[in-house]
Amino acid sequence: MAYNVAVDVGGTFTDVLIFDQQSGELTEGKVLSTPDDPSRGVVEGIETVCRKVGISFEDLNLLFHGTTVVTNMILTNTGSRVGLLTTKGHEQILLLARAWTPGPLYGWMSLQKPDPPADPTDTVGINERIGPDGGVLVPLDEGEVREAVERLVGRGVESLAIGFLNSYVNPAHERRAREIVREMYPDLSVSISADIGQEYGEYERTLTTVVNTAVQPRTMLYMRNFERSIRERRFGGALSIVRSDGGAMSTEAVAESPIQIALSGPSGGVTGSAYLAREIGIKDILTFDMGGTSTDVSLCLNGETPVRRDIRLGYFQFKSPAVDVHSVGAGGGSIAFVSASGALQVGPASAGADPGPAAYGRGGEEPTVTDANVVLHRIPPGVALGGTLEMDEEAARRAVGKVAERLGMGVEEAAEAILEIVNENMHAALRVVSVERGHDPREFGLVAFGGAGPMHANALGRLIRSHSVIVPPTPGVMSAFGFLSSDIQNEFPETYLRTAEETPAAELRATVERLIAQANEWLDGEGVEEEGKRFDLYADCRYYLQNIQIPCRFELDELTGEDSTFLRERFEEAHRQRYNFELPDSPLEIATVRVVGRGTIRGVSLVESEDGAGADASEAVLRTERVYFGGEWMETPIYDRGRLRPNHTVEGPAVVVQDDTTTVIEPGYRGAVDRFGNILIEEA
Amino acid sequence: MVLHERQELPDFVREHNIDNVTLDIIENALKNIRHEMDRVLVTTAVSPIIREQADEFPLIADRQGRMVVGQFGSPVDTVLENSPYKAEDLKDGDVIALNDPYMMEGSTSHLPDILLVRPIFYEGDHVGYALQWGNLMDVGGKTAGSIPIDARSIYEEGVRMPPVKLYDGGRLNEEVLRFFCHNSRTPRETRADIMAIAAGTAAGAQRVKDICDRFGKETYLEACDALLDRTRTSIINLMRQLIPEGERFEFEDYTDDDGLGNGPIKLKLAMWREGDTLHLDWTGTDAQVPGPVNFLLNHRMFQMFAGVFLISAVDPTILFNDGYSDVIKVNIPEGSVLRPVEPAPLSNRLVVMARLFDVLGAVYAKAIGFNVSGSYGTSPNFVYSGVKKSGEPFQTMEILYGGIPAIPGKDGLDGHSWWPEFLAVPAEYMETYYPMIVEEYAARRDSCGAGQFRGGCGIRKVYRFLANGRITYQDDRHHTYPYGVAGGRPGAPSKKTLIRKSGASVELPSKVSDVPVFEGDRLVFETAGAGGVGDPLERDPEAVARDVRWGLVSREAAGSEYGVVIGEDGSVDAAATESRREQIRSARPELPAFDHGDLPPLEEQRRVIAETRRKFNEWLSHELGAARANGRG
Repeated sequence: MAYNVAVDVGGTFTDVLIFDQQSGELTEGKVLSTPDDPSRGVVEGIETVCRKVGISFEDLNLLFHGTTVVTNMILTNTGSRVGLLTTKGHEQILLLARAWTPGPLYGWMSLQKPDPPADPTDTVGINERIGPDGGVLVPLDEGEVREAVERLVGRGVESLAIGFLNSYVNPAHERRAREIVREMYPDLSVSISADIGQEYGEYERTLTTVVNTAVQPRTMLYMRNFERSIRERRFGGALSIVRSDGGAMSTEAVAESPIQIALSGPSGGVTGSAYLAREIGIKDILTFDMGGTSTDVSLCLNGETPVRRDIRLGYFQFKSPAVDVHSVGAGGGSIAFVSASGALQVGPASAGADPGPAAYGRGGEEPTVTDANVVLHRIPPGVALGGTLEMDEEAARRAVGKVAERLGMGVEEAAEAILEIVNENMHAALRVVSVERGHDPREFGLVAFGGAGPMHANALGRLIRSHSVIVPPTPGVMSAFGFLSSDIQNEFPETYLRTAEETPAAELRATVERLIAQANEWLDGEGVEEEGKRFDLYADCRYYLQNIQIPCRFELDELTGEDSTFLRERFEEAHRQRYNFELPDSPLEIATVRVVGRGTIRGVSLVESEDGAGADASEAVLRTERVYFGGEWMETPIYDRGRLRPNHTVEGPAVVVQDDTTTVIEPGYRGAVDRFGNILIEEA
Repeated sequence: MVLHERQELPDFVREHNIDNVTLDIIENALKNIRHEMDRVLVTTAVSPIIREQADEFPLIADRQGRMVVGQFGSPVDTVLENSPYKAEDLKDGDVIALNDPYMMEGSTSHLPDILLVRPIFYEGDHVGYALQWGNLMDVGGKTAGSIPIDARSIYEEGVRMPPVKLYDGGRLNEEVLRFFCHNSRTPRETRADIMAIAAGTAAGAQRVKDICDRFGKETYLEACDALLDRTRTSIINLMRQLIPEGERFEFEDYTDDDGLGNGPIKLKLAMWREGDTLHLDWTGTDAQVPGPVNFLLNHRMFQMFAGVFLISAVDPTILFNDGYSDVIKVNIPEGSVLRPVEPAPLSNRLVVMARLFDVLGAVYAKAIGFNVSGSYGTSPNFVYSGVKKSGEPFQTMEILYGGIPAIPGKDGLDGHSWWPEFLAVPAEYMETYYPMIVEEYAARRDSCGAGQFRGGCGIRKVYRFLANGRITYQDDRHHTYPYGVAGGRPGAPSKKTLIRKSGASVELPSKVSDVPVFEGDRLVFETAGAGGVGDPLERDPEAVARDVRWGLVSREAAGSEYGVVIGEDGSVDAAATESRREQIRSARPELPAFDHGDLPPLEEQRRVIAETRRKFNEWLSHELGAARANGRG
């Protein structure tokens, strides 16, 4: 029982990473995902890597699982059929969807709006009403609830969601209605909106509840099947599912609230980077995760994973905590084209995995970013992606040639232009999370991963002017690495909506203590030991009536004064940094009080390599190759990542190859291998 | 002749000394700046109209003040002309603020919209402007929300700020801000929103400086010219491709009334192409009206609208900018409802603006037969103000939404925003901060214009008031219908009903201001639906059955409008539907290209509109008298 394992299920590959607690060694592997039954791929993947390490399921201690089961169900609308009980008069809440249409002008013409996730036919308004202060305006008509449930179940509804107005202040009606449902149909899955999000905003709360309910039955089935198949293989350790906010929780907790794992996968790369940042002592980092169709970026301050309170998936936006990543439609598969005005554009359309870039030789003909990299030998000839997929350079040149012709350029020139444009789009994404929020990227390291990240990392580091670029040893399985570093975690928020000036600290304290008790109980349920527990306290504040919430962290023993204005200074500092002004006359509103309960489990630790070497990295050179940089072909050494050792220094231009990605070091830059095996790229 | 034309070409039309890739990168960077300015404003603003509804628009202009990227055309030149400042006198850190539409030729078109103009300097040199405007909750005037429906001059509509320096060299002009906000019923919110708009322009300016840092100032300036040129060329190509030369396309439609009983008000547009010039002529549009629905239409903004329509319909990747302002020629007759003479009142111009988009869309539909859509429902403002029981004054400001029109191949959305990125305000927000209960918020059944593709339904929203106060709203399409196209039927007109606590109910007209309401009263607000596209008898019967199940179309309307017979179990009776459709088909006249609904002759409409207003005014003075007598006015 000395090994931990993390599994990340993606669209094409399932990544597995095993950590040996004694030696600190990480062993990775990839198998094809099995979309018809994802758990099969997961079990196969674990078996494959176990064999590599020479162990079996019995030797595994902690198992972290990131899954797209929920994500896919939401995107393809294949959850169960949900019945919805609303407050009478608000039955069409999901259809009206807050009236949103996209930009620019006439954007409504191209909007493809999906049907509401609960069919309006399966939605029933109930006579009841809670006021904004929690008072009962109209008592719950229990007879109507019974009648509605009877009718909905008779019609074939598989689960029920209950979303009443103002239930975030007083959930009594929702709870009573649930009780009635449980009396009538003890086996029917039912959720209430007050449990899903204790925040105002009836549309988002109801939507989140409905989707949570829709994905519940199938998620539970998946979890049960998966758990059974690993137990059959004599896995005796603890199974944790990775949440959208980068924490982990048990399958029982997932069953309560599957929406919390809707963005299970993408969170791992950020948590992993934040962990790495803490370990190597570069605490402020930008993360840059470039995949096939999109790029996710984020900013971690002081080694902490940033969390936001809502997520967008396709058309829908939910209330659910998630790692704060900003995505742009720029990836290896992004297609380059010339618009009617003659401007070169890259993405957001993508060739995806099938047919994929022209260089994959699977019938793709459109020029993609990967093709540009192949043309320029940033992916050197003879290097196979994922160890198996040979690149078809001629096909890539033909595809890029189409754009080159329209632009009146040479093929190499056009390929370089494609990279510059896609880099610019990703640069803009990095700015969104840094400059726009008042942070100077020059004070940040840039951690690059994902299949295409290390190829573009040097360019992005140059554009955003980060002080160094960090390419971890296993950039292709960074999510899985992140899972291993997760804490058991859950968040307990409550809408507060009181001004700091008029809130005696003792009253705030009472609320916080109640939330801590909830968090504590939850951690107990997850089997977390006392000494591993931690509670982070936040007041999400804003100027009265503003639309932002800036999290202000505090400690319990600060809650002593006659009011809660101790938060003001913290808030204003953050507000000034981000927006450059403050409003001294405006009251400070505490919008939400939040307790994050964490239980540390240490699934991974970085081990320093004792296999240090001198600066000379020539022992790792495989060969040289012509690679195109800044308008010319340059004779460039190709390094084997597996042979690079601590202290080795790689002068640019250079390309470092490993199984699932290549790292490009530009002329004028230098890569240094640190004691953990990371490559740190800096200006030479 | 040739020489003469050459002289008229804009200065940016020439060979550009910039490589294409750099230009593309700068184009992308500028587009991103615009979004960034938006985000700064939306997140920091206080008033619900910006905070929850995102009503604001940013742009970046070049040194000459021409919009390089944005959505609504730049007014920098007119703003400067109307100010004591010359472009060369401006310095880094200056911000010019104004809200008087007559001092920017209608670039923002009523007093609640404030515009901030920030010159951008790079290493001491002027390189452009960052502009942003936003809708403030209240700028004074006779009615809460500053959109009175019965103003007779702009002086009644609020405080007018001419171009003044809100910031002078980076220093906030506290006095002018204090003065301006003092005239608002919501001074705190107004101040916070103006600060947020200023922060938005600062974000924009900083990013332009960053681009200059990266590429050099000269390259940036050259890029601005090249981007204007590139868009101009694209628009000329689109026009040549799409709009036949020598043919004249016309359309007209009506706005209800001006709030004082004058109406309906005609908007008429003609369009024709002459070589590389597109002419848009509003001759035939009605004269300005005494009430505040006059829409002071900025030439350049209208050129933008016209170009954006082409761009959105054909190639949305083309950058919107002022590059094509010389190839779209616009004539707006002086003294018309689209070019009123100062001091004509302007506050409630939204209703004429909405009609303008209908008319423009219909003219394009005739010219290019592309994306012919029905007419939009209505999108009224609604204000409720008074004093809470705690003694604290309050004022809401909300925009409601109507039906989105059908387009060929797609039904319209129900109760959605025509304007991009707007959001309905949550009931829980309104109830938490203001004394009201939102009893109902639903799609309005049978308000959608029937068609092979139906228009969107309007909404039905029922408010119960918990404090005595006043209500003001500006709606339209009460007396006219949102038209349908190519056999599609019009959407239902809008409707507002005030139900007193006693149960007495009265139907209110299209627009009202300062109607007294009391604790326990209810307002039923129904916006207009949108027009449909194509013959309703061609609509898939299953789609009609679904609309019936979803409560959007009644069983009766399914039969009478679509000829679809729905059985007891909610499913389509195919045989009965076939014969019902045949029966309707043989009995009806030929379907019109545009269906404006069953309207009486114009004279009769005028009489009804005037009569409705007269009766309402009588009722209102009675209500106000009674309120005063009861001591609760």
